Amino acid sequence: MLAIIKKELLTYFKSMTGYIFMACLLFFVGLFFVLSNLMMASPQYIDVLSNITFVFLLVVPILTMRLIAEEARQKTDQLLLTSPLSLVKIVLGKYFGAVLVFLLTLIISFIYPIILTTMGSINWGEIIGGYIGFFLFGCALIAVGLFISSTTESQVIAAVVTFSALLLLWFIDAIINSLPTDRTSGMIFAAILAAAIAFIFYMATRNWYVSGGILLAGVLAIAAGYIIKPSFYSGFIARVLNWFSLLSRYDDFAMGIFSISPIIYYISFAGVFNFLTIRMLEKKRWS
Amino acid sequence: MIEVKNLTKRYGQHLAVDSINFTVENGEILGFLGPNGAGKSTVMNILTGYISATDGQALINGIDVLEQPEEAKKMIGYLPEFPPLYGDMTVTEYLNFVADIKNVTGSERKNSMEKIMDLVKIADVRGRLIKNLSKGYKQRVGLAQALIGNPEVLILDEPTVGLDPNQIIEIRKLISSLRKHHTIILSSHILPEVNAVCERIIIINKGKIVASDTPENLSKGLVDSSRLNLRIAGQEKQVLKAINEIEGVKQAESQGSREPGTVDVIVEADPNVDIRKPLFNAMSRASYPILMMKSMDMTLEEIFLQVTTREEGVS
Repeated sequence: MLAIIKKELLTYFKSMTGYIFMACLLFFVGLFFVLSNLMMASPQYIDVLSNITFVFLLVVPILTMRLIAEEARQKTDQLLLTSPLSLVKIVLGKYFGAVLVFLLTLIISFIYPIILTTMGSINWGEIIGGYIGFFLFGCALIAVGLFISSTTESQVIAAVVTFSALLLLWFIDAIINSLPTDRTSGMIFAAILAAAIAFIFYMATRNWYVSGGILLAGVLAIAAGYIIKPSFYSGFIARVLNWFSLLSRYDDFAMGIFSISPIIYYISFAGVFNFLTIRMLEKKRWS
Repeated sequence: MIEVKNLTKRYGQHLAVDSINFTVENGEILGFLGPNGAGKSTVMNILTGYISATDGQALINGIDVLEQPEEAKKMIGYLPEFPPLYGDMTVTEYLNFVADIKNVTGSERKNSMEKIMDLVKIADVRGRLIKNLSKGYKQRVGLAQALIGNPEVLILDEPTVGLDPNQIIEIRKLISSLRKHHTIILSSHILPEVNAVCERIIIINKGKIVASDTPENLSKGLVDSSRLNLRIAGQEKQVLKAINEIEGVKQAESQGSREPGTVDVIVEADPNVDIRKPLFNAMSRASYPILMMKSMDMTLEEIFLQVTTREEGVS
């Protein structure tokens, strides 16, 4: 795995992508630092971090578009996949390569709070907590980008799709607020979910009986849920979509609260997308 | 040793490889021959664990590539059809990376690296970016990559594509010299190449093995008679008459005269009988000096055409 990480770092800094990513992120951190800390004479550095979370939309695709798409296009994936390395190590190696570049950028940006200390006292605990949240938030998004990069051979497609996916994750809170919350729409949504799961299962296995069984079990569960506890379906859509609301998990960090649940959420989010990436590559071999 | 049992690969409805069986002994060089799209690369990709088989087994030294991929892959060096090179790396960086992922470390790494670079003659470009190298050099860097870690089994997919004639000869020599310590499978659609290097040839067409033997036996086995091309000093009619009297001769046909006072004859004989000695004795008794005698075995090109255009296989 170390070999892959080393190679990814080498590639990032031999081509322009690593520098562009760092420059982009550092530029916006610097800009907001000047605007909200220096000009306003405010010691609240943590606001800078939460203000620039949107910059991820632009910079994460830069970091992740190349990761797997380019290997597939150049056919260098043949070297990796026929080497004694396991698929898990290859994918994690690539993931941590990208994460390290991100971490390096954050370490450099640490210069700003240090500048602030020369002018007064700041709350270090709050800033370090904010940085941890910011870092994990980025890690979750990088995992999404990695997964999208594994689905295509074109860097441009990977970048555009990653950008759109992140944009959607961004707007999900706004979407949730405007969705219907009554029980009927909740049940319809649950039925659509069950059908989608059955369909995905059918696409993966081509087994009518099992996917039919899943659909049936889903419908029965929905009906049973309605009989036992009808209130379950009030606001059901919002609750499901809320699972994907990365930004709302950042609220605690933005307010200077250090809590464990968003940390676990981000780590599991990244874990799920790394797992999906591994499955994606595995599937390519079996097709 | 490589064993392939009932290997099948299906892409949707298309059958790319149709239950292929073969074995390659230790130290053997096997040539894989077939027209484009016959399934050569697919078989190689399965053997190296790049793609999975729909059915069947591929064993490297008794280890199943699909069941214990990491163990099996340690023993394989693979040069795919397109050398998997990172253009942004220099040759040294690239080979170091390959050594890293193959877990070649310490002094072994340093020694083998120098040796391999000398062997494939890329030591002079070691500091250059791979994307700036010529096709021939890229191909050789690809070969160097396959040799790192000194794997027992080498699988080379068209190793001489894109090289100039001198380089082709060098690479062939190199492959022949590797034979002692490696088991090699080599694919190609260039016939003389396979003929020059391989001890055994498998011809594959439309996913099936259509012929498998040594180059010599292939040339002999596929024809129903052995043919000799002769140039004999003497009168055409008398010479033909004398030849026809020899036992085992099926047919003698004059090709006219190319040198004054001589006649060129093509003699077809029973494939089981060596008629060269009786022929020499008969001609010498009749005092018709033989000026030239050439066996006319089928060339690999002819065999190739014959087996790949025929309906049924002769494996």
